[in-house]
Amino acid sequence: MNKIVSIVCGLCLLMGCFGNVLAQKKCTVSGTIRDSQTGETLIGAFLRVDQKMQVGVSANEYGFYSLSLPQGKYVLKVSFVGYQEQKMSVDLDSSFELNWKLESKHSLNEVVVSTKRKNDNLTKAVMGTETLNMKDIAKIPVVFGEKDVLKTIQLLPGIKSAGEGNSGFYVRGGAADQNLILLDEAPVYNASHLLGFFSTFNSDAIKDATLIKGNSPAQYGGRLSSVLDVKMKEGNNKELSANGGIGLISSRLSVEGPLKKDQSSFIISGRRTYADLFLKASPDFSENKLYFYDLNAKANYKINNKNRLFFSGYFGRDVLSFGGNMGIDWGNSTGTLRWNNIISSKLFSNTSLIYSNYDYKVKIKSGETDFNINSNIKDWNLKQDFSYYLNPKNSLRYGFNTIYHNVKPSTFTGTVNNNVVKEGRKSLDNALYINNNFKATQAFTVDYGLRFSAFSILGGDTYNIYQKGIKTDSVVLAKNMFGKTYYNIEPRATANYRINEMNSIKLGYARNVQHLHLLSNATSSNPTDQWVSNSYNILPEIADQYSIGFARNFKENKYELGVEVYYKDMQNQVDYKDAADINTAPDVESELLYGKGRAYGLEMIAKKKEGKLTGWISYTISKTERLIEGINNNNWYNAKQDRTHDLSIVGIYQLNPRWSLSGVFVYNTGNAVTFPTGKFYLDGQTVFQYGNRNGNRMPANHRLDFSATYERPKKDRIQSSWNFSLYNVYGRENAYTITFEDVPDDATKTQAKQTSLFRWVPSVTYNFKF
Amino acid sequence: MKSLITCLAVLFFFSSCEKIVDLDLSNNIDKLVIDANITNQPPPYEVRLTKSVRFSEKNEYPPVKNAVVTITDNAGQSDTLTYTSDGKYLTKNLQGIEGRTYFLTIKMDGKTYTAESTMPKKVELDSLTISVFKINGEDKKFIIPNYVEPNYLGNYYRFLQTLDGKFDKNYYVFNDNLNNGKSNQRPLQNNDDDFEIKSGSTVTIEMRCLSSNVYNYFFSLSQQAGGAFGSGTAPANSPNNITGDALGIFSAHTKQSKTIIVP
Repeated sequence: MNKIVSIVCGLCLLMGCFGNVLAQKKCTVSGTIRDSQTGETLIGAFLRVDQKMQVGVSANEYGFYSLSLPQGKYVLKVSFVGYQEQKMSVDLDSSFELNWKLESKHSLNEVVVSTKRKNDNLTKAVMGTETLNMKDIAKIPVVFGEKDVLKTIQLLPGIKSAGEGNSGFYVRGGAADQNLILLDEAPVYNASHLLGFFSTFNSDAIKDATLIKGNSPAQYGGRLSSVLDVKMKEGNNKELSANGGIGLISSRLSVEGPLKKDQSSFIISGRRTYADLFLKASPDFSENKLYFYDLNAKANYKINNKNRLFFSGYFGRDVLSFGGNMGIDWGNSTGTLRWNNIISSKLFSNTSLIYSNYDYKVKIKSGETDFNINSNIKDWNLKQDFSYYLNPKNSLRYGFNTIYHNVKPSTFTGTVNNNVVKEGRKSLDNALYINNNFKATQAFTVDYGLRFSAFSILGGDTYNIYQKGIKTDSVVLAKNMFGKTYYNIEPRATANYRINEMNSIKLGYARNVQHLHLLSNATSSNPTDQWVSNSYNILPEIADQYSIGFARNFKENKYELGVEVYYKDMQNQVDYKDAADINTAPDVESELLYGKGRAYGLEMIAKKKEGKLTGWISYTISKTERLIEGINNNNWYNAKQDRTHDLSIVGIYQLNPRWSLSGVFVYNTGNAVTFPTGKFYLDGQTVFQYGNRNGNRMPANHRLDFSATYERPKKDRIQSSWNFSLYNVYGRENAYTITFEDVPDDATKTQAKQTSLFRWVPSVTYNFKF
Repeated sequence: MKSLITCLAVLFFFSSCEKIVDLDLSNNIDKLVIDANITNQPPPYEVRLTKSVRFSEKNEYPPVKNAVVTITDNAGQSDTLTYTSDGKYLTKNLQGIEGRTYFLTIKMDGKTYTAESTMPKKVELDSLTISVFKINGEDKKFIIPNYVEPNYLGNYYRFLQTLDGKFDKNYYVFNDNLNNGKSNQRPLQNNDDDFEIKSGSTVTIEMRCLSSNVYNYFFSLSQQAGGAFGSGTAPANSPNNITGDALGIFSAHTKQSKTIIVP
């Protein structure tokens, strides 16, 4: 606690000492930065004073910026990757509003994964942060040719794919549920379609995605490992336009346009897979169903110069059924209503009301009997966030967040069952935060903040207390009663020191706390994995991450090198006990055990950002372990996502203005798994004997993918392109599962059988825009 | 879940492929395996002691011949078992009776292993019926064992199925978490391609009523068997009722059988 007190004091001191820096009268220039053709706001566009290279500000997630300067004459410059730089001379004698419209550069030699400014990696006090914009990922090959944010992110250092073709990912040794995935601020509880082969993010509807690997600023909270903040497009406010794509597996279409020219706009984007139609052609599978669809919609309305309203929504559903006997369907729906209010030229406010729902239903039917399982998690979320541009050295973010969770665990109903309807477990998840970005000197920047979270269990259910799986007590909480409240203080800080024009070093520390936990031991994302909230047994998970990094740019920022080392300490980790009954146990908490975890690693990335050939090489060496009483004889064991080596090489080559080629090579150590080491004979058959938990390895994975994109000359208003790709070029049989069995024709032996999924997956996609 | 992979395979115009792989699984520690059963049927009862072997070796399990095996119960019976052959030890006059608790002691090479198991009350297996499921466009027949669940929680069952003399290696273990007090409707579902119940097939079902720790043991084995495609929990040696670090289980259970000729 003492440590925390001293951090708070330090914060106050730092904030106190900048009040009287300059006595000269200051004026503020503020406004929004947008794309001149579509009117989309440009998140992260950078405005600076030409005479003072280091004085500047980035536009926030609504494109708003504010900069206070002493009275005087200035030349202001605005720049953003992929856009022409703009300059303007201003005579600042009073505060005023200045809106910018940037021209998009039609250059094809774009950077691949862009930081917003050419040397952002050196100057900003951010660590472990990667931003992708949709233009960038379009050319990178993925399985089935469907460009996908989640799969491209997995090619970056420190981020590991949960499995081949899987949209689940692990960040710095964290589990898949330790990633906070936000779509226009709404949490998405299951970001995968078709068991993970597609992600829920339709890239046509998305403006940009940022992933922060554990060192997130204080406005984010609730997950240990990372924040993936995905922002939907706002829609073109100049003219009506449509774009879409036709592929082998799925097609998509988006329409966007002004509601009122230059003022308000909308976008609607839909996608559906139709591969199930081919299933119909095969008599064996004619009664099976397997498809998903999703719909994104967003509209914004400008009330006046100071106020703007946004509404955005997402709805997606997967349907899977076998011959009418068994079916699963699941999906997310989210809705966000936001109000941007420019209170003053220095103070920007955003208020959001967010709804999020994830549910799944399993139906099994045999003759006269029915059997259903369903579960859902529903959130109502209120957020108030203020950005206060105090002075050129300090910009503050502060606010609060209140979430009402209702988590309904899987419930069985049916004709032959006892219909014990489980009540949802309700809880209130509150947080207060403050964060300051402090540009101490030209070379030294600190981003520091504090988040205070309070998670309260709400009444309406009985909570059992277990000691090592044996029930010892229970707490009955009446409706609307408050149960236990967990309080946590989460300090965060990152510092950046720029040694010279080429080199910078970074330091970071962050504590993150997680109140919702996904119970999953599966290797792929399973729609029926259960979310549970804190209870009297399950305590908030806590992670402390320490990291240090070095960045260097070469040849006028054309090349970039980044190295980061991290160590993460995790408390209150949850795992299933050995031989857990995860389906029918009346209270799943009786099947759980708790312990701690640790993860450490080294991440490296080298990028080439300009020229005909662009791309990057990323390499991670890491270790992730857990210690849980009751598992592996109480010794440390490898977490399943522990992989020693992870390498990705991405290259994009612009052959000529029409054709571009790209390739991806990945290599990683296999997941840590438990294989049988021995066998014995019991009750008429072979039974396997196991050694240490996760003491074995799947075989290493590697593969090479290619793609080629042809952009047709623009005809009339139609812009179109063809994308051809080949996944797994050399047909590597990567192990998806390994099973162990008696040799079918020889009862004296046993064998290990490997199943692989994808060898040579070709795909063709036609994309258009008009 | 296997059908799911096939289904995905067809869907995406490629075939998932399978191959036999060689893995280095040599770091095994051989342990004593105890396969001990007491039933409500007339004696003798058998305790079989063997050793486990490495995964890569042949399915030949060395018998343990030099152990002293005794079984007692909570009603004062006691029996020292006699070694016959192949690791098997037989009781002489001890009776298996519902509701009693049995204690097993094994002394071997200076080590002692003990286990305790209670034989539950028998739940009557009333009859067998055939149910038909449509799986991937084909009708498949499965057996439903009919019994009425007693009206209190904590009943556990295991079913063993033999089709035309061939033993079905799946573990069918049921509890009463979901259908306490109701009649059973759950079939013994074997989706293997080479397992087909046809008209004229003879199917024998053995029903065992188990205590909870024996159920947990076989439930855990059933999870390992099916836990390939992203399902199930990380496999581990099934938790058993034996003290002294041995594999296997000591099971006191009731046993009854019914046979049906499929019409």
